[in-house]
Amino acid sequence: MPALPATPIASGDSPAQCGRGSRYPRAAPAGENNAGATNVYAGVDTDAAAITVRGVSKEFRHGRRRLRALDGVELAVGRGEVFGLLGANGAGKTTLVKVLLGLARPTSGEVRLRGRDPRRAAARRRIGYLPEGHRFPGYLTGKASLRLFGRLAGVAEGTLDQRIPELLELVGLAGRGGDRVGRYSKGMTQRLGLACALVDEPDILFLDEPTDGVDPVGRRQIRDILLAARRQGTTIFINSHLLSEVERTCDRVAILHQGRVVREGTVEDLTTPTMRYRIRLGEGQSAAPERLAGEGLDVVAGNGSLEVEVADLAALNRLVDRLRADRLLIAEVSPLRAALEDVFIEVVEGEERAAAVSDPGPRTPDPGGGR
Amino acid sequence: MKTWALIVDTWREALARYTLLGFLAVSSLFLLVLTFALNLDIVDGALAAGTLFGKAFEVPGKGPAIATVVATGQSVFAGILYVLGVFLAVFATGSQVPNLQHRGTVDLYVTRPIGRTHLLLGRFLGAVTLVSANLLILCGGVFVIISAKTHVWNPRFLVASALILLVFLSYLGFMYLVGVLTSSTPLSIMLPYALYLLSVPLVAHDRIAAAMDTRIGAGAVQTLYWILPKTAEIGRDLTGYVLGKATPAFLPLATTAAFGAVCLGAAVVAFNRKNF
Repeated sequence: MPALPATPIASGDSPAQCGRGSRYPRAAPAGENNAGATNVYAGVDTDAAAITVRGVSKEFRHGRRRLRALDGVELAVGRGEVFGLLGANGAGKTTLVKVLLGLARPTSGEVRLRGRDPRRAAARRRIGYLPEGHRFPGYLTGKASLRLFGRLAGVAEGTLDQRIPELLELVGLAGRGGDRVGRYSKGMTQRLGLACALVDEPDILFLDEPTDGVDPVGRRQIRDILLAARRQGTTIFINSHLLSEVERTCDRVAILHQGRVVREGTVEDLTTPTMRYRIRLGEGQSAAPERLAGEGLDVVAGNGSLEVEVADLAALNRLVDRLRADRLLIAEVSPLRAALEDVFIEVVEGEERAAAVSDPGPRTPDPGGGR
Repeated sequence: MKTWALIVDTWREALARYTLLGFLAVSSLFLLVLTFALNLDIVDGALAAGTLFGKAFEVPGKGPAIATVVATGQSVFAGILYVLGVFLAVFATGSQVPNLQHRGTVDLYVTRPIGRTHLLLGRFLGAVTLVSANLLILCGGVFVIISAKTHVWNPRFLVASALILLVFLSYLGFMYLVGVLTSSTPLSIMLPYALYLLSVPLVAHDRIAAAMDTRIGAGAVQTLYWILPKTAEIGRDLTGYVLGKATPAFLPLATTAAFGAVCLGAAVVAFNRKNF
């Protein structure tokens, strides 16, 4: 079981200050980065992958209408990887997770968890799942819920006796394990859901909106738990539209739009540094941005720091020289990355513009998503 | 252990929803009344006098044989229990599958490493143990109290209790099918009641079919009779059996059991194919 990490988790430094030009790299576009071998997808050996999705489509019938929620999705998640699935409401995220866990049958294509069909019960051993909007039976206490789902996962009674208090402690419910779940707040229910997902020490952990309804402290705790699980080699698949959380937690992400993976890559690749920098000045010092702007620089000043976009490194150095000439002390110069949120919005808006040009008709929303 | 977990879960749910406590309270009250309110004086194997709620009554002349009195009383009780017991059991278990299939709840169960067939049948087994225990307490209690007071041990009453359970199981299978297909608690309760009521006129299926204008209509009546549970017919046979008459006919029992088994099988297939 993942223990709370002893060291604090560094927070990201990616303020969403950057504009929405075309400067974001098109990293690892979906389906185009097959390394030439049939068993490699997005740099992941699919034979050894924890999660493999091959050409999965899913259609729902609503009366006479057929709604396509997933459209030829291809994905591979390596063992020990933290993978984020991003998408707007109705993009198909929840449907994909349900297909991955055998809750729904794909119309075409196939999914594999550790090489096995998830519709087979044995393939779901040591798979943790925190569903979005989950509802534990209200008549159970927190402890009884963990015992029930631990037993259903095949965990031995003696192990459960030891693990249940540890899990409750881990998610911050140590004093409330004897209370009925029906009396839990949304945040507490979410924490219990996470404990339940961890009850059989999963190899693969699926989390659908894991921080939904959780306060900032709780979010931090959940993030720490996930990072601790990653250190122990757990593969984590996060489905979320909280992009800052995903950015801080995930190694690799895919953006799902109208049931298709439209962008995929590492967080690092997608959020490549821009030519925008933050310059933090010494304590109590400030620079007049209008003086710098006079030199043709795009400068935003505030709270003892400057954010500036430059053409190249030479321009940055000239700026530093200028500040030093004004006897200002510089505490830090750091490059700003494109925030994942900006990348996401650019990709989604780009797809919608392209779709509007090629097919002005209405799209089919994902019935399983956006709950 | 997974099956055990599902059985415990069913009991826990019944306990939390007060269905278990309610049934135990009613059963206990009934058994207490039977124990303390009714006293019989038996002379030479015949009922001579007694008290009911403290009020004495005498039987003029030589009363009926106590064995006949016991069999008649148990027959009446079996009839009441057959109607009320099945109705109450349907009511108590009707929400089982719809509750399991609640959005957000079913995900937690179905994604565990347990087959859907195992999951559904485990819950079914939980309901069977629950209703069996209730019937055992009530019917067993009545049997023991009456037998201890009269020294007449009529095992036919216990056989009748088992038949009540069999009919309930048939309805439970049907409820599971309705629950899986509709996820509706009201429908899971109302449709078994409708079947129950429909079985009353179908006892006279031959006469109704003969009165039909068309062969199709007559065929439909006969088909319904053979497909649906023969609740009324079994009830009639069951009370007669407790009174000492013939053993209940085999075909009504077999077809009723088959109906439940087919419904349960269909529920399992539908549950396995369902997208959640």
